Amino acid sequence: MPDIAVSRTANPPIPTNPNHSTVLGGSLVVKGELSGQEDLLIEGQFEGTVDLPDNALTVGAQGKVKAEIHARQVIVLGTVEGKITAKDKIDLRKTANIIGDLASASFAIEDGAYVKGSVESIRETREVGQEKPRSQSHKTALPSVV
Amino acid sequence: MPASSRTARAPSPGAVTVTANVSLGLEWLWQQLQDDRQPKILDCGRMQGATMRALLEREAKVYVADLLSAFRPDAPDLWDRSQDPPVFRLGELLRQVPPIPSGSLSAVFSWQLFDLIPASALPELVERILSYLRPGGVLFCLLRDSNVREGAETRWCLEALSTLRKDGDGAMPFAYPPVTNRQIEGLMLSANVKTFLTRFGWREVLVRK
Repeated sequence: MPDIAVSRTANPPIPTNPNHSTVLGGSLVVKGELSGQEDLLIEGQFEGTVDLPDNALTVGAQGKVKAEIHARQVIVLGTVEGKITAKDKIDLRKTANIIGDLASASFAIEDGAYVKGSVESIRETREVGQEKPRSQSHKTALPSVV
Repeated sequence: MPASSRTARAPSPGAVTVTANVSLGLEWLWQQLQDDRQPKILDCGRMQGATMRALLEREAKVYVADLLSAFRPDAPDLWDRSQDPPVFRLGELLRQVPPIPSGSLSAVFSWQLFDLIPASALPELVERILSYLRPGGVLFCLLRDSNVREGAETRWCLEALSTLRKDGDGAMPFAYPPVTNRQIEGLMLSANVKTFLTRFGWREVLVRK
């Protein structure tokens, strides 16, 4: 049975908190393959692939991501175009705007979030990791900055 | 008639009335899909957390296509007014539907969608929706009764698999006459149509392909 939390009131805002070890700032536009072992907050624009199998990705309210995303947890306040797979949880806030398919073990969905795509629960967390080989990198890699 | 009905919050000026009703139509739908381990479902409404929770707990794969927001007063006009008479741009509306394999869906939820589009666009819309359903799949439509003239902005969701929740009626009038059962039967010639009446002014029309 999937764990699904539903809130009819606004969740607490995502603070620009120090827990995010990496922040892709609002003025940055990045293309490429991104993988690593630390949490990431994207406030700028990113296009490519994101692979954070043991960490959380947050797409901030101003963030625009066009990518296939694999992560432990994904929180979306901004715009995402692409498939999102999260081992633990996908958290959609009311400002989220997503075109793509979503798969996770659990979901938190705030009324007002926009999705064009499919939503599916996955039971076995290992299914997620097997879809794509995990990166051996220990640092977040940003191969090209435009 | 619904087995039970309750109002979750007493109406007061400015407040949104939330009403939940056990739905015989939904009970019938889930009975049809009882052997479907992972039903594939298209929700044609605005994404609602409660609906997603209910469907995901049923282990459904849910396709989301918001076909209702396009009818809000602040949404871009769906009419091509360069033509005389103006033409309803159904194709523009259907761009909200994500890619779905033909004949793959177990069910489609259409929350008063048929009450919002002009009758001229209904046949093509119905044909498209039915094309997504697998044989034995069910289309669930909410249609207003003829005496319901306002409430075009009503938000519907599943509070539970067989419980419909209505969040407020709103004062926005419907632009077109109500869709009759005869119209629906005429559009669904190759399918079985079943209608459940409710106490809250709406019909639950279920179409089994």
